Amino acid sequence: MENDLNWAIGGEAGDGIDSTGKIFARALSRAGRHVFTSKDFASRIRGGYTAYKVRTAVDRVESVVDRLDILIALTERTIDENLDELRTGSVIIYDGEQTTMQDVEIPEDMIGLEVPLTDLAEGAGGAIMRNVVALGAACEVADFPVEYLDEALVKRFGEKGEAIVANNREAARLGRDYVHEETDCTSQFSLETTDEDYVLLNGDEAIGMAAIAAGCRFYAGYPITPATDIMEYLTGRIEAFGGAVVQAEDELSAINMALGAARAGARAMTGTSGPGIDLMSETFGLVATSETPLVIANVMRSGPSTGMPTKQEQGDLNAMLYGGHGEIPRFVLAPTTIGECFDRTVEAFNLAEKYQIPVYLTADLSMAVTEQTYPPERFDMDAVEIDRGKVVEGDAVDEWLDEKDRFRAHAATEDGVSPRALPGTPEAAHMTTGLEHDELGRRTEEEDVRVEQVQKRQRKVETAREREDFDYRAFGDSDAETLVLSWGSNEGAMREALEILDERGIDVRFLSVPYIYPRPDLTEEVQAAKTVIVVECNATGQFADLIEHDTLTRVERVTKYTGVRFMADELAEEIESAIAGQRAPPEVKR
Amino acid sequence: MSAFSAIDEDREIDPEEYTPGIEPQATWCPGCGDFSVLKALKQAMPEVGRTPEEVLTVTGIGCSSKLNSYFESYGFHSIHGRSLPIARAAKLANPDLEVIAAGGDGDGYGIGGNHFIHTARENHDMTYIVFNNEIFGLTKGQTSPTSPKGHKSKTQPHGSAKDPIRPLSLGLTAGASYVARTAATNPNQAAEILAEAIEHDGFAHVDFLTQCPTWNKDAKSYVPYTDVQESDEFDFDVTDRKEAAEMMYEVESKLYEGEVLTGRFYVDEDRPSYTEEKQATGEMPEEPLAEKYFDEDSEWKRSYDLLEHHT
Repeated sequence: MENDLNWAIGGEAGDGIDSTGKIFARALSRAGRHVFTSKDFASRIRGGYTAYKVRTAVDRVESVVDRLDILIALTERTIDENLDELRTGSVIIYDGEQTTMQDVEIPEDMIGLEVPLTDLAEGAGGAIMRNVVALGAACEVADFPVEYLDEALVKRFGEKGEAIVANNREAARLGRDYVHEETDCTSQFSLETTDEDYVLLNGDEAIGMAAIAAGCRFYAGYPITPATDIMEYLTGRIEAFGGAVVQAEDELSAINMALGAARAGARAMTGTSGPGIDLMSETFGLVATSETPLVIANVMRSGPSTGMPTKQEQGDLNAMLYGGHGEIPRFVLAPTTIGECFDRTVEAFNLAEKYQIPVYLTADLSMAVTEQTYPPERFDMDAVEIDRGKVVEGDAVDEWLDEKDRFRAHAATEDGVSPRALPGTPEAAHMTTGLEHDELGRRTEEEDVRVEQVQKRQRKVETAREREDFDYRAFGDSDAETLVLSWGSNEGAMREALEILDERGIDVRFLSVPYIYPRPDLTEEVQAAKTVIVVECNATGQFADLIEHDTLTRVERVTKYTGVRFMADELAEEIESAIAGQRAPPEVKR
Repeated sequence: MSAFSAIDEDREIDPEEYTPGIEPQATWCPGCGDFSVLKALKQAMPEVGRTPEEVLTVTGIGCSSKLNSYFESYGFHSIHGRSLPIARAAKLANPDLEVIAAGGDGDGYGIGGNHFIHTARENHDMTYIVFNNEIFGLTKGQTSPTSPKGHKSKTQPHGSAKDPIRPLSLGLTAGASYVARTAATNPNQAAEILAEAIEHDGFAHVDFLTQCPTWNKDAKSYVPYTDVQESDEFDFDVTDRKEAAEMMYEVESKLYEGEVLTGRFYVDEDRPSYTEEKQATGEMPEEPLAEKYFDEDSEWKRSYDLLEHHT
């Protein structure tokens, strides 16, 4: 797919890389082009190296590739970091007048485009606008009308006043004009525009938007990368819908607050990442035993311990499946695209209330903090249905009273789901405890009651298996001998890898699985294939273990744990090697 | 019918309504101070004018946290140290509920200490009763955060090397707007203080001295006690932070010298609660967060404006 453009801006943290990149991404989206972004960033406020990368095409893009066409380099290191991705003819825009950039060497086969960014920015009203000058220069190189930046600049700087917006527009034009008039760089690209008007959002935002649409009215969290975006998205938005966000003193408090709000009757959610999941595991069992509906978003990052907080990994699958002492019934949903984050979030809230159970909703870093374009109708608010499950009040309470008029809050029903009476409901006051209890919520150690309650809670999962549609999505050639399975955000790269493999004459069937527990039974699909390959971003192959367990079949593992997501071309190579049985461990760059 | 309709019923309430159908007899040891908390709470509730269905009691883990097994209400017996975040969020979601959290000194000042500090700091409109018996009772007599320095136990055979927590001072410093201490041996004062604490608009912290006749015989039964408000010996202004702080320091020190001083130590009627603060900045809606869930006719508000942000 060479009709795409790969663009990046890189510099030090604190250089405004992220917001500049986002202005360009927004402008492309406004111009009716699809956009897929990615970030190289570190857990630091200043210094180091950070980059915002944009891949754009008229057709849908849902992955990154190992190629850069235009690079705005604010530091020398930005060039070094991207040497592998730069190609013959790639354009590197930099400010040669900047003291730290005077000795920069541009590889011979590439085009170094010196633009006096700071100088021109000062001409427009201030050196602070040098990034926008660079954007204007990049527009000229890409043959993309600089006017499309205008609205994105309003979005970014509108709050600071019209003068600031006007200055930035001027800065962009100065950058464009400089390239046009003062250099002999002619564009080798042409960015076609369309009449489409897309929305651009990341996974955390899709989760936040869906939570509001799904009736979530309470969110408790503690700041942690990369989950904080959910909290920040909801703050300032959820209030208009009758909800509130609270910042707790730690993750222990965050999950317990969400639990408290849920018990009082609000749809509630907490969100965190690995280290927070460790703390929340304590209360996870209480949520399940007290049969409280709760959604816990886990935006995965590289672990264990503090690990690599700003890097990609899908390493928490086992923690979510098995975390917490004892045996805890739960659901684990793992959307595979940014768009699907919306759908699974809505579903998570309904599952939580229908089955009165904790639901893990997990996104990985790559999906959570990078943006993608969608047609706005992809997010159909009116189609969102809210199912609160067996909440009882009024006369319905009477059906669930025992002979002494005591409310049977944990009645061992056929489907395992008990009536739920919210505090304040007349005639239904009852006990709830994290101890084993009888149907009235009275603590007990009686063997038969224990067995009945364990079975009842577990039965909810079985009921859900029967009633819900925990399915996969299939791509590629349904008759292929090679079956590839993956979960989480690898779907986009894998779909593009299918196209690359197809060009090489390799037929592959690809199943993307958004439900980890309960999950679809893949026995037939696995046994029908000659080679089964499981793709995931962790070292041990946690999802592969599950597939082997479920299907009693050995699978090939394509894993990656460098902290960087799979790229489409890389994944195609890996799949090809795995089919040939020649997969090597990842190369370590020194 | 709205479930909120249980709330605001106006009628006489009999303390016996608070005796539950499922476990009317408490299983605490004979002579345990915990019985007095239960009795005082049952007496306080009719004063406050709340029915059991309007009350949510959230407890942690320990002998004292069994309180809501013997007290009719919506009871939530949670896990060790975590009663406060559960309780305060329930109050945020449905402010019409009367929310009372309770637990022991290990639960509240040890494992849950951080939540105590932050719940007090946020001044949620709720009551927190800490059953303080200076010992871990349910696990059979280990040193607790309020055990005196030098206290010997199986886990501290040569005596505790730590100064005990000063619970009243901690509550004040953290931001509680009502701080009192009462004792199991003083039932009338206890019922009065609990009623006051529940009616107080803000975070009310009651350190309730509850003797443990089984595992902490050293602490005796907290007799004789003195009510500082009744005694001529003490003269301080409960609304004055500095005077309250000095008084608390004295009270806490005296306890370990064998003198039991009880009463109200700090009352701030003016400090806005967390909800009020958040409502003032527009970060907390006026309507209860949970209300939508009680009103079947209410329409779920959806807005495509959310998408506008992403264009």
